[in-house]
Amino acid sequence: MGSVLAASSPNPLPPASGGVAAAPGLTAPPGFGMPPVSSVIPPDGAASEQEAENSLSNPGAFDECHRKCKEVFPMQMEGVRLVVNKGLSNHFQVNHTVLLSTTGDSTYRFGSTYVGTKQMGPGEFFPVMVGDMDNSGSLNAQIIHQVASRIRSKLAFQTQLNKFVNWQGDAEIKGEDYTATITLGNPDVLVGSGILIAHYLQSITPALALGGELVYHSRPGEEGSVMSLVGRYTGSNYIATLTVGSAGAHASYYHRANEQLQLGVELEASSRMQDTSVSFGYQLDVPKANLLFKGSLDSNWVVGATLEKKLLPLPLSLVLCTFLNHRKNKFQCGFGVTIG
Amino acid sequence: MPHIEELSPDAGPLSTRPLEDEIDDDEDEDLDETMMERLWGLTEMFPDTVRTAAEVSAQCSVSLAKQFYSFSRTALWVGTTSFMILVLPVVFETERLQLEQQQLQQQRQILLGPNTGMSGGMPGMMPPVLGKM
Repeated sequence: MGSVLAASSPNPLPPASGGVAAAPGLTAPPGFGMPPVSSVIPPDGAASEQEAENSLSNPGAFDECHRKCKEVFPMQMEGVRLVVNKGLSNHFQVNHTVLLSTTGDSTYRFGSTYVGTKQMGPGEFFPVMVGDMDNSGSLNAQIIHQVASRIRSKLAFQTQLNKFVNWQGDAEIKGEDYTATITLGNPDVLVGSGILIAHYLQSITPALALGGELVYHSRPGEEGSVMSLVGRYTGSNYIATLTVGSAGAHASYYHRANEQLQLGVELEASSRMQDTSVSFGYQLDVPKANLLFKGSLDSNWVVGATLEKKLLPLPLSLVLCTFLNHRKNKFQCGFGVTIG
Repeated sequence: MPHIEELSPDAGPLSTRPLEDEIDDDEDEDLDETMMERLWGLTEMFPDTVRTAAEVSAQCSVSLAKQFYSFSRTALWVGTTSFMILVLPVVFETERLQLEQQQLQQQRQILLGPNTGMSGGMPGMMPPVLGKM
């Protein structure tokens, strides 16, 4: 059971989280995110300590640059959510999700995760197949496989009712001190459209990693490309990341104050929508009280918090979430129970 | 307005009585209307600059007071709701945790004797049960 839980994300493809930081020029369809396989990758710090001191360690995946800071922020949820996770075997896990919503439709999702037998590291097993189907028939599916010793590839599909909305494949090469990823999104040979994304991230020093991203999209009669550069600096207890591109800038700072408190500050400036926003978030982890509290404060006058509590004798976990927009005077709250 | 000659002390009391009546009648008729106007008329003794300065400062202070009132209302609301959302749950949970730990500690003290408590009780107050067995 341990390998399945380690390899799969707690909420495979949750509707509200965008796991893939959508490239500045690319709008990922809402609700589609790549599973945080990062939970499976051993932390780079450990790897670098084990390697020789003058060699650089792998900088991690490109999408992970802003991830640490984003994880500090609470996730907005509304309505009532019940999740039942059941592990059927060491390799297979199934989950049922019932979402009762006040603003949209209430839905039921069925998801399953299969973890294969090829072992790449402690707790990493491949192939990983994650699938999720809605009560209206919309499907999200991902297949992640380690094709060669350094190359990992992923295929992802998403349908809305009976039409394919998103289909993409990517290949990630993790070298000694660099990571290169190439993604082909929605390729359509008949119409002649598609999106090509290339990422490259290189470790310059053990603390500094620089990289770039190039997004090229083409449709019959129109094509364009967006490029952006990324720099990430890792300190003793902080990580500062900056992404600058033709579509805007995104800077994030993550700080670990002590073992209970983590802080994150994020600045986003978009040249397309001509606006900037600053958010401040914090995460308070009190394992003695089985409590995880995340709060955030935004320059758009939005205040939000999430409280997650494990009701321990039973394998139950309770999530309460509230978001209040002072400017528009709108309030949203939700709660969820996760069993198993 | 009474004539100057009639106001002079030469005029006898009888001749001034109808004038007083007139004056009284006039005052009675004009009393409702002229009270505020009379008070307002008093201000005309001040020079213009003083009057405009007083008027401007009075208006400013009134509008400032109104703005401050509405700002403090909004600030109080925003502050209270944000505090409620961001801080209150953590406070509740940590208080609960503290109480639980205190309770556990008390139970442990009662059960095993005062010296096993972390803060330590008074020695000899409750002799351990084992000694008696």
